[in-house]
Amino acid sequence: MTGALSLPSLPAALRVWRRNLRVFSKIWRGALLPLFFDPLFYLVAMGFGLGTYIAHINGVPYREFIAPGLCASAVMWAASFEMAWNAFFKMEETRLYDSILATPIEVEDLVTGELLWAGTRAVIYGTTFLIVISAFGLVESGWAAAMPPFLLLGGLCFATIGLAYTSLIPKMDYFTFYFTLFITPMFLFGGIFFPYDKLPEWAQVVAWFTPLYHLVLVCRELATGPDAAAVAGNAAWLAVLTALLFSVPVVALRRRLVA
Amino acid sequence: MRPLGFAGDVAVRARGLAKRYDGIVALDGVDFDVRTGQCFGFLGPNGAGKTTTMKMIYGLAAVQDGTLEVLGRDISRERRAVKARLGVVPQEDNLDRELTVRENLLVQAGYFGIGSEEAERRVAELLEFSLLAGRSDAMVRQLSGGMRRRLLIARALVNEPELVVLDEPTTGLDPQARQTLWHTLDRLRDQGVTLLLTTHYMEEAARLCDRLVILDLGRIVAEGSPDELIARYGQPHLEAVFLHLTGHELDR
Ligand SMILES: Nc1ncnc2c1ncn2[C@@H]1O[C@H](COP(=O)(O)OP(=O)(O)OP(=O)(O)O)[C@@H](O)[C@H]1O
Ligand SMILES: [Mg+2]
Repeated sequence: MTGALSLPSLPAALRVWRRNLRVFSKIWRGALLPLFFDPLFYLVAMGFGLGTYIAHINGVPYREFIAPGLCASAVMWAASFEMAWNAFFKMEETRLYDSILATPIEVEDLVTGELLWAGTRAVIYGTTFLIVISAFGLVESGWAAAMPPFLLLGGLCFATIGLAYTSLIPKMDYFTFYFTLFITPMFLFGGIFFPYDKLPEWAQVVAWFTPLYHLVLVCRELATGPDAAAVAGNAAWLAVLTALLFSVPVVALRRRLVA
Repeated sequence: MRPLGFAGDVAVRARGLAKRYDGIVALDGVDFDVRTGQCFGFLGPNGAGKTTTMKMIYGLAAVQDGTLEVLGRDISRERRAVKARLGVVPQEDNLDRELTVRENLLVQAGYFGIGSEEAERRVAELLEFSLLAGRSDAMVRQLSGGMRRRLLIARALVNEPELVVLDEPTTGLDPQARQTLWHTLDRLRDQGVTLLLTTHYMEEAARLCDRLVILDLGRIVAEGSPDELIARYGQPHLEAVFLHLTGHELDR
């Protein structure tokens, strides 16, 4: 297929990004609230409820243990919603992707613009939640201020996985599988609510293969005073997966929309 | 008139164009030349391959067999450069439902990399021209079907294209809106813009097209100016020619 390996044009991708920013600037109030209450409720239920019984994990108060992980999960949910239903809608229902592809924007630019946007949206959610937990006094280290770029990286990773899935499924119904078999288990077992260091080795190995696990570790390190090598290692894992998967939505959408 | 074959004279050149969609033959070896500045029509019954041809020209369907040159370039190799000079009115409305009328045009200008000042100027002009200035802050879903089509046409002109592809642009328009569109197309043609048009209205094709092809089952069954075709097949009007050439369903 011609141009299967062509690199995206950043200016073209940013045009798609700006379109999304324009739409978001109109709806952000209504859009921000629900996804923002979600981690807040978990923080209250688990941190303040369960946290009364489990005082500390590895010497860290339970609330402080889970709070940074919830920043990571806010990123995961935001990027996944954006690249699941929203992207499917633009691809199959409103045919917005068709109209964009009839301009000088090519599939690889469209994919890049959409991923950058989903990453941006994820950063907005994750950072908002970071500000909230800081206000609750749940962040120990000033290094937490360095979190947003890592939230962007995590957002891009989840966005890429999400768009790869969306570009391959025939019907919207398939998102049930994505969320109940992939996103929700990651949320529960990704290391937000309990640490892996005392669990059997096989459990650690399984967790290592999930992206949320690495983003949670990055966020927790930064919030509690980081081990630079751990941050770099986990961030590199996310970057490598994102880079490896990028071509999946490009090739799939090209087949689907301009075949 | 310049001799045919001069590179700048041919806006679209198709040779042996063919396309199958898992088993279904959509186009079965089609040759045509559209000369610069012409209004060129594609007629044919449902499923004849008109939209497929159009989509290949504007880069949303890959050329499977044969060659297709658009504005002097091979569309399979230089899609981005070609698309920058095209305007597209698709058969199905794909307006941006999350934006207002004005924003649809502004964002479209953005996709072409047109600066914001210039974009504002063109958008104001197009809103006037499409009689949508009064509805510029309406969301797309609040427009009537005909208004949406007018917006779709205005959107196709934002980048001041050299070639405009119009896939059934007048379906669903009231007589006034249709007349207005005809005048617009006349004006564009006077400015030297090449027009490709599909339509199911024969009087519209006769009124607008300098040349046309009649497609059936993915093949061209006739080509010529409306008058030539009427004379060649000894029919009273274009509709009769069309039915004469594509009436196989009726024979069965
Ligand atoms: N994406 C697709 N997948 C499978 N088959 C397709 C696809 N697009 C078109 N076809 C088939 O190709 C043939 C030509 O379709 P096309 O849309 O080009 O017809 P048309 O001349 O534009 O018809 P109409 O007047 O109804 O718009 C039809 O048989 C159609 O079913
Ligand atoms: Mg059609």
